[in-house]
Formats: sequence, structure tokens, C-alpha cells
Amino acid sequence: MKFLLLYIDPGSGSYLVQVIIAAILGALFYFKTLWWKIRSFFTKNKKDDLPENDRKND
Amino acid sequence: MTEKMTKHPHHPASYRDPAGYVFQAGGVYYRQVSQRGAADYDWLMSSGLYRVLTEKGLLLSHAEIQEGLNGSAGSGPEEGYKTLRPVQLNFISYPYEWSFDQLRDAALLTLKILSLAIDHGMTLKDATPFNIQFHEGRPVFIDTLSFEKHIVQEPWVAYRQFCECCLYPLYLEHYTGISSQKWLTAWPDGIPAAATASLLPWRSRLNMGVWMHVRLQNMVKPAADKGKGYQAEGVEGTRKPPSFNLQKLRHLIQHLEQIVAGLRPRETVKAGWSNYYGKTILGQGYLDEKEKVFRELIQGLSFNSALDLGANEGYFSLIAAEQNSREKKAMVLSVDADPYCINALYRVIREKELPNIQPLCIDLAQPSAAIGFRNAERAAFNDRARADLVLALALIHHLALGYNIPLNDIAPYLAELTTGWLLAEFVPLKDEKAQELVRNKRQYHRPYDQAAFENAFLEYFSVEKKERIPGTERILYLMKKIRPA
Repeated sequence: MKFLLLYIDPGSGSYLVQVIIAAILGALFYFKTLWWKIRSFFTKNKKDDLPENDRKND
Repeated sequence: MTEKMTKHPHHPASYRDPAGYVFQAGGVYYRQVSQRGAADYDWLMSSGLYRVLTEKGLLLSHAEIQEGLNGSAGSGPEEGYKTLRPVQLNFISYPYEWSFDQLRDAALLTLKILSLAIDHGMTLKDATPFNIQFHEGRPVFIDTLSFEKHIVQEPWVAYRQFCECCLYPLYLEHYTGISSQKWLTAWPDGIPAAATASLLPWRSRLNMGVWMHVRLQNMVKPAADKGKGYQAEGVEGTRKPPSFNLQKLRHLIQHLEQIVAGLRPRETVKAGWSNYYGKTILGQGYLDEKEKVFRELIQGLSFNSALDLGANEGYFSLIAAEQNSREKKAMVLSVDADPYCINALYRVIREKELPNIQPLCIDLAQPSAAIGFRNAERAAFNDRARADLVLALALIHHLALGYNIPLNDIAPYLAELTTGWLLAEFVPLKDEKAQELVRNKRQYHRPYDQAAFENAFLEYFSVEKKERIPGTERILYLMKKIRPA
């Protein structure tokens, strides 16, 4: 049985905003990872250079 | 055994969620899980999320009780499924009484819990800071029924609520210096994006977080509101929510965490009392003498709870909190009108992990009112604050001379708040601090002197001990309540 459990109104806009924000953050993350990869290629310190937070999402 | 048959009404603030409600029976708070909330509750318990959250002290733990306190279990969606007995809280406080760091820690707790929840296939269906209480010195999430199964293709349903109730008041204090309590008093259920956008200063436009979470949201909302809603999935005329995924949600949470962790109270608007002792002739020498007298007076006094009114940065709250009463340390509620003082005290409590002091931003001339539906959801400060020992140190002259509250009105108020003891300080008119209050003010209630003070208080109290603070004309009184207010 499926119940409708949304008892707060998420606001129609808030879903769209999250999609846009997530897209921006995703792009930023992509470039950041790319940057770290390029950097580590030149410094020859492979993955160890990635910041803690980002490694989780790798 | 008649109680078992009684249907206890829900708590006046616990009516929104169809998944269950809080009720009180025999002085104990319980949470009823309805059939509607059964599946999510079972998943919370069986997925391991409950264990992780309670072990880390992030969620208030509970026990399932067997007696059907609120009617027997039935199968209808509103019928009872289970009754929970959560760990009982000493005191309930509200976000519009918290200092900046308290609200910030509550916001970070919400995000941390959401993060752990999605690891267990669940999400938070609401993000109101009213779901958080300060328990044993730390914020703890109390709403066991806020968790629901996570549909990974959907964005966070409570994102907007999180912004309006947690992020925006923090942004507003960070950028304007006007404290979060003021904003949340005006908008207890959250500050709309449009209002926040117009209140934030121009320089905040350069900040990416503000742009995304305030301005973009404000831009998108009116356009999206014209469209069809998402929430009634399966109902004709509505659309499916836009596609999302776990990775996107993790990025969003991380981003919000980084923003919230980087926000600071802006202490430029400093109208209050922080650093009260440091900057005046009432420096360390005075404080040492006062502390000596204070310790003498409360020595041997037995109290389970204390209420420090006008606590400043909690110098005396911390001493009172050390006091043992039959092996048990007293619970101390410290209130002050200055949010920076309370924030400083909260930081000490957090750093030293002190479990028995609750700091709150309360202006005694304007204490928090009873608000919400039927004025019954959030109780007034005066209906919550009761203690065995009330401390009124360097307070009464502010009320009498600063706010023109007659001494004859202050005495019964303090008698109302204490169940037994009052430790009050009398500051005479010629004292430097009293002079500051009347310097530009001719109208205040006269006489304001020791005799008038004693007359007013002897109506309700008997003086047990009385001592002058050496080097000053100030007098500390230890009084015992003899008559109810």
C-alpha cells in the first residue's frame, strides 16, 4: 500500500532549485577532480592528494 | 487500570505529521506511531539507522512500551501501531531562544543525520529545528518519525524548510549582525526566500552560497509555482519530480555543511552585556569578592535546579552547576537578553562538555510568548521556567531602573519562578552601574533604596542570609520563599 507522506509542502520551486544547484555543484566537482588529477600527474603523487571529502565521492 | 482505556490527546504542537504524535500520560511524554508511519518506523529500527544515530548521541533514544496507552492497535491508517517512551527531557527550548552557535549546531546536526540516513536508505521528511532539543549540553534530534524511505530519484523534500528555518536566519545574522532569535521570532516557521533576499545586504550577492540557496530559489519559485505541483505523485494533473540521484544529494548536503560551518555571528552590533566585567571597574577584584560571598551563601543549600536570570556569560551559572545535591549535580538554566553572552556560555559548555547547563537568549522584559495554533504549540518562557534556586545577580536594578518595573512587581515575579530559594543582589542608586541607568532619565519609581527593596521582597520571602560584597555597596541576599506569588 502506498501512502502520501509529504506532509510538508516541499515547494514546487525547491525541487527545481535542487536540480540546478546539484548540476552546478556536479560541474564544479568534476573540474576540481580534473584539476587534482592534472596536478597529481605533474607532482607524481597520485590519489593521495585528493582532499578527504572528495575521495568519498570518487 | 482505567488509564489504559483513556485516549490521551496529542500534544498541542504535535498535529502535523500523519505518521504519529506525542502525548502525555501520567506526567510522562510518549510518542504514538500510527499505522501510517509503521513501515518507515520499522525501517528506521531494522536498517541499523536508529542504532547508529543513538550510539552517536544524535537521536533521542526510546523504548517501545507494551501497554496500549492510547487505545489498542488497529489496522486503519490513523490507528495506533506502537507506543514509544523516549528519554525524558529536562527542559524544552525553541530555536528563537537559541544563540547563533546553538542554531548552527542544530543545522549541522540535521545535515549529519540526513547524511547518515541516506546511507541507510532513508531521508528526513522535515528539517524544522523544533525537532531538535538541547539535552545534556548537546543538540539532539527528538522526532523519531521524521525518517522515511528514500526514493533516490527524488530531491530532498525538506530542503526548502531547512533553508527557511536554519540557513536563512544564520545567513541574516552573519551578514546583518541582527541576531537569529529576532528573525525567528518574526518568522517562527521559517523566513521566506523572498524576505531573506531583500533583507541581505548587497555584498552577499557576491557569495555563491547565497546566490544559489537564496536568490536562485527566490527566482525559480514564482515561475515554478505557476506550474503544476509535484507532490501528489500518481494524482492526475501533477508531474513526476525532476530526476535526482544519490551523488547529487550528497553534493548538496556537503555544500550546505560547508556553508553552515563557515558562518559566524557578526559581533559588531553589540548593544548588550558581553564582556560586562572586563571593561568596567567591576573587574576581576570585584568578581573574586562576589564569588566568595556567593559560594558562602549557597554552601550547604540543597537544590536540584537553578535558574540564573541575567546570567551574562554564565560565571555564576558555572559555579551553581558544580553544586551537588545528593550526589546529583543541579540542572542550571541560564538566561540573558544578550545573545553574544549566551553564545559565549554555550561555547564553554560545548568545549567542556558540561551536561547540566542550558543557556538561552531571553529578555526578561520581553520573555518568549506562547505562540502557534491556539497559542498552545510553544509555551511561554514563564510557564517553562521553574527552579529550586533562582539567581538574580546584578539584575533587579536593570528591571527597576532600566525598565521602570516597580520593585513590588519584581518580587512576586521571582517568587513565581522559584520553588524555594532566591539569591538576589541589591545594587544601590549610587553604584556606578545604577547611575548609568538613571543618568539621562528622571522618571523612575521612587523610593529605590535598600528599605524599599527589603519591603517588597519580605512580602514573599524571608531573609536567611545577607552580606555586603566587600569594596562595594552591593548586598547579596539569600531568601527563602514563604508565600506563593
